[in-house]
Amino acid sequence: MSEATFEPPRRGAWRARVARRTAGSLVVNAVIALFALFPILWGLSTSLKPKDEIVAYPPRLLPSAVTFEHYMRVFNDSVGHYILNSTIVTAAAIVLTLAAGALGGYALARFQFRGRGMAMVFIVGVMSIPIASLLVPTYSTLSVLGLLNTRTGLVLLYTAYQLPIVIWTLYGYFLSLPVELEQAARIDGYSSSRVLWRIVLPLSKPGLVAAALFVAVFSWNDFVVAVTMTSSESVRTLPVAIYNYLGFYGREWGPLLAASIISIIPIVAGFLFLQRYFVSGLTGGGTKG
Amino acid sequence: MATVTFNQVSKVYGKVKALDALDLHVEDGEFISLLGPSGSGKSTTLSLLAGLQDVSGGRVLIGDHDVTDLPPEARDLALVFQNYALYPHMTLFENIAFPLKARSPRPARAEIEQRVFETAETLGLASLLERYPKEISGGQQQRVALGRAMIRNPRVFLLDEPLSNLDARLRIRMRRDLKALHAKIKSTVVYVTHDQSEAMTLSDRIAVFNEGRLQQLGTPEDVYYRPANRFIANFVGDREANMFSATVRGEGLQSRLEGAGIALDLNRCLPPELPRDVLAGVRAESVSICDPSATGVHAIGRVTDVELVGADLFVFVATETGTEICVRRDPRERNRPDQTVGLTLNAGDIHLFDPVTDRCVSFGDAGASNSSNL
Repeated sequence: MSEATFEPPRRGAWRARVARRTAGSLVVNAVIALFALFPILWGLSTSLKPKDEIVAYPPRLLPSAVTFEHYMRVFNDSVGHYILNSTIVTAAAIVLTLAAGALGGYALARFQFRGRGMAMVFIVGVMSIPIASLLVPTYSTLSVLGLLNTRTGLVLLYTAYQLPIVIWTLYGYFLSLPVELEQAARIDGYSSSRVLWRIVLPLSKPGLVAAALFVAVFSWNDFVVAVTMTSSESVRTLPVAIYNYLGFYGREWGPLLAASIISIIPIVAGFLFLQRYFVSGLTGGGTKG
Repeated sequence: MATVTFNQVSKVYGKVKALDALDLHVEDGEFISLLGPSGSGKSTTLSLLAGLQDVSGGRVLIGDHDVTDLPPEARDLALVFQNYALYPHMTLFENIAFPLKARSPRPARAEIEQRVFETAETLGLASLLERYPKEISGGQQQRVALGRAMIRNPRVFLLDEPLSNLDARLRIRMRRDLKALHAKIKSTVVYVTHDQSEAMTLSDRIAVFNEGRLQQLGTPEDVYYRPANRFIANFVGDREANMFSATVRGEGLQSRLEGAGIALDLNRCLPPELPRDVLAGVRAESVSICDPSATGVHAIGRVTDVELVGADLFVFVATETGTEICVRRDPRERNRPDQTVGLTLNAGDIHLFDPVTDRCVSFGDAGASNSSNL
């Protein structure tokens, strides 16, 4: 064979390759996003359609004229009250799980005590119990406590269901904090509870936010537990109310989808607003080495 | 300010003895270094003193108070961490003010401000007080950590390798700053380091640790010139001491040391219990190179390697038996590999170690009186 010829790569060829790769990944991501978002966008579109267009055949992708009649309708149906119930229950569940979860997670992360290993195994173990199998026993428990058909009952159940995962999330986050910060605060004069409150928790915002979102999504979306444990309208939460549009007199698609879109908004807004906490490190600069 | 006393203190992790029956007394206002390699027990000692860990046995006293069972916040001491442990969510002002605010009774706001400003002024941080820890350099972070320790005038200062994260030049500058600071505030300081030169420059006394035991406690001169055992002779000093097996012949002032191709008169009284076969140790600066044909040469050897380290030239010479001896010379001297040279050892600087116990059985007391043996 003759000498190997070596052709230098064409100038700018790599640019074209990068552009092709970028375009390719955009297309793939767009397809995935469309696939995931289509039902929601379809629902949004339907909630804005006039009543007679909703079941028209062939289906129309976009409403011919945007109308808010279904939204007016659900607000007239006192959806505001159900939103309030859902908000109260969700907020209370978040506060309770974070308060108890922070104490539990911190104890597991920083203290050596008898039974610590067992407690951790137990916490992971109970996470794997499906909620459906807990419905009957928790129903009897609430009934004995006289908390059936109350928001308090729902809050306690949501807290109980979500506490293990909150403890576990916070435990993992606390472990990632440099222990020297806590030791420094102890030496400087803080008791261990003040260290948790003033040093550890302020630095654990990303962990707290992640844990809170778990609880928020669960409590806000829960249907099965709420429909089992409550019956009266005064304590009804939003998912149960939405279900009622699949009602007695046939399906009311317009109000159903309008209420569904309303119920999605807080979760989406929450994730968008808090997303920076997932990506930012808050502990930068505190320690070196 | 206060004394610190460890009374038979030990710490056990499972089956590992991290610290074994430590007895140590630190005088009021003394700067003492705990020196040793990692895992030697020096940091454990500091943690036990700070109350960050519980002792497995023994008592710890600060002044006359037994603090063994007190939590850290009740011991009235300050600790500067190796990684500084500044609170990242607080400004420098809040970081430095923290120990004042954390305790009751909390001083008035004006007093807190005044003391923070004074401390920051001393450390050259006054213009940075509104910044956050991540916005300043490593050297500045280090000084904030010092400031946070100083502000409360604690009874004892603990420093855990505070300079080890700084670059080499800054480290040497901070060393002098620390020394000046101690001269000014005159507190009791317990300083943990694995850097023997830091310990030598800063300390009134050095406690050398190895394998969970206190090996020697003494002034920097003591540990450098009169090492208690082979470990210390190797660990203290920029370089390991030259070690070679040798036999002692003759008695009393006529005693001679022979071995590893080296032979010389010791010219000193040796203890009667001295074994005949010993391990001889001598530092690089106590060996000189001369013409191989000169009279009084103690060994003949061949140069194997030459290292120029700034102000010093280190020449490695293999004796006839192949034992390598490191010699410190003036860098203006010229030596090249494979050159044949003569070696003379300063007899007064040679330590003799028991090869079984590794304990030093006869010091070369050169540091005390270099000339008396010659």
